[in-house]
Amino acid sequence: MSATDTQTPAAAPQDAAPVHKSWWRALMRDRAAMLALILLTIIVIAAIIAPLIAPHDPNLNSRSVMQPPVWTERGTWEFILGTDGQGRDILSRILYGTRLTLLIGLVAVGIGGVIGSGLGLLASMYPKIDPWVMRLNDMMLSFPAILLGLALVAVAGPGVWPVIVALGIASIPDCARIARSIGIGVMGQEYIEAGRAVGLSDWTIFRRYLLRNSISSIMIFLSLRFGQVILIGAALSFLGLGARPPASELGMMAAQGRDFLLFAPHIATIPSVVIFLIVLCANVAGDALRDVLDPRLKS
Amino acid sequence: MIETIINRLLVSIPVLFGVLFLGFALVQLAPGDPAAVQAGPSATPEIVAKIREEMGLDQPMIVQFGRYIERLAHGDLGRSLISNKAVSSELAAAIVPTLELMFASLIWSIPLGIAMGTLAAVWRGSLIDRAIMAISVAGVSLPIFFICLLLIQFLGVKYPIFPFIGRGGPLWTVDGLRHIALPALSLGLIFIGPVSRMTRSSVLEVLRLDHVRTARAKGLTETQVILRHGLRNALIPVVTLVGLQIGYLLGGAVVTETIFSYPGIGRLAVGAILSADFPLAQGTILVLALGFILVNLIVDILYARLDPRVQKK
Repeated sequence: MSATDTQTPAAAPQDAAPVHKSWWRALMRDRAAMLALILLTIIVIAAIIAPLIAPHDPNLNSRSVMQPPVWTERGTWEFILGTDGQGRDILSRILYGTRLTLLIGLVAVGIGGVIGSGLGLLASMYPKIDPWVMRLNDMMLSFPAILLGLALVAVAGPGVWPVIVALGIASIPDCARIARSIGIGVMGQEYIEAGRAVGLSDWTIFRRYLLRNSISSIMIFLSLRFGQVILIGAALSFLGLGARPPASELGMMAAQGRDFLLFAPHIATIPSVVIFLIVLCANVAGDALRDVLDPRLKS
Repeated sequence: MIETIINRLLVSIPVLFGVLFLGFALVQLAPGDPAAVQAGPSATPEIVAKIREEMGLDQPMIVQFGRYIERLAHGDLGRSLISNKAVSSELAAAIVPTLELMFASLIWSIPLGIAMGTLAAVWRGSLIDRAIMAISVAGVSLPIFFICLLLIQFLGVKYPIFPFIGRGGPLWTVDGLRHIALPALSLGLIFIGPVSRMTRSSVLEVLRLDHVRTARAKGLTETQVILRHGLRNALIPVVTLVGLQIGYLLGGAVVTETIFSYPGIGRLAVGAILSADFPLAQGTILVLALGFILVNLIVDILYARLDPRVQKK
């Protein structure tokens, strides 16, 4: 991974505006990536407006328990995706669950992205603190996300917040490493030297040149990270360490369907497929964006 | 070489301390007063105070941390609050199954991932390449619990070929192999994607180098060129990747073990955390973290051995 990632900065900062335009053009040509982006947009919008479009109360127990989805023999249009073991409408729970799952991923990646790229960019700007940041990074890399998650949940008890914090912290070292390598590429550019020569303050250089020219590459890395974070968060919720009932979260919904796997497999399958789609779309779109930015893969 | 190893060991020391402190903090942050628990519900405040003194709980934090490490050095991790067995013996019973599961998952998935990645690189841009890359992307996007549930549903229930609960025995017995089949299949599947993607990009890079052109020029067959000059050099970054992905594998193992009721460290950890069994939770997290550090250490040393350029740095 690092081999391709270190190459990214060389392409990004040089002529920011034209690259930006050709991104979109190249993306448009990549049909899989476009499809992924469209699907992801639909999922995100559906999750945001969940209260408006959910046909039922996600926590309301109806009398039809374990009703199969509409495309099966016994399905009805009242419960399009069927009902779960407690008679709750799966479509409504999926809409709300996607909300929570996306939120966990976004906040965690946000925490990791802001702190991580801050550290990485600072390290690229001030070579003196660079070794210290990298050492700290190495140490943090020794705690994989799942371990941090387990440890935090062990202390704080199961819940959404310990999971978000753990995933956020676990994302810091990777973001810092990427931001640093991107930042070093930017700091080597002539406009930085020019800015220094006309006496701009460090803060101005950071804000106006370093941050602006690195942010798109960092965002692309974060979009790839987003998928992984969602998967770990869903796994923790599946194990009962994340979101707690009665909230709906996709991983937890899959876990609740586990007991009915034999006679009502849709209860576990539908939320799992939604997670798969979200992560797949994020990965495909992120990959495509990276390919567009990486000159070596473009050829 | 020795210098590299010593350097690497020195870097691990603060990390090791961090892990130990994490374990210590876990015990400290546990709700409830350990002295009161020890003394029992009918004890007077004086007795609780006396026990607190005996347990060293009135000492400063740093002294308590020192004592904690001393106890760890003697293999004393406390007792499980639920089973009342020594945490160390519970851990000892769970380590071998987890190692077996990891072994059984990697033994087939790494070679398969490398083969797929190499094929994709050699036929770059072809239908095979696209198919393999599509499978890999789908593979890294699948939630591991979904894979487990699907395998249970099809290979466990619909066509009951493999058992899907517990461990049958050591890996070399028939029953052991049958029981580990589905967990190892699930865990291995999530590993194929990253390995094949990494192998592909690495092989592509190496095939562009001069020595490969020389090998072609001297008339070796394409298979010889790829296997002897391409793949061999391309595997070096793959080794690092396997090391970096151990955390990923660990997460997968925790889920897999729990779903298949497989008696490993991961399931022990989840059970301990869910039942607020702090001493056991602390023990499992310590073992997982130490294992992770150890594997990374081995991978780094292996990497330095495989790639002489690393040593010069």
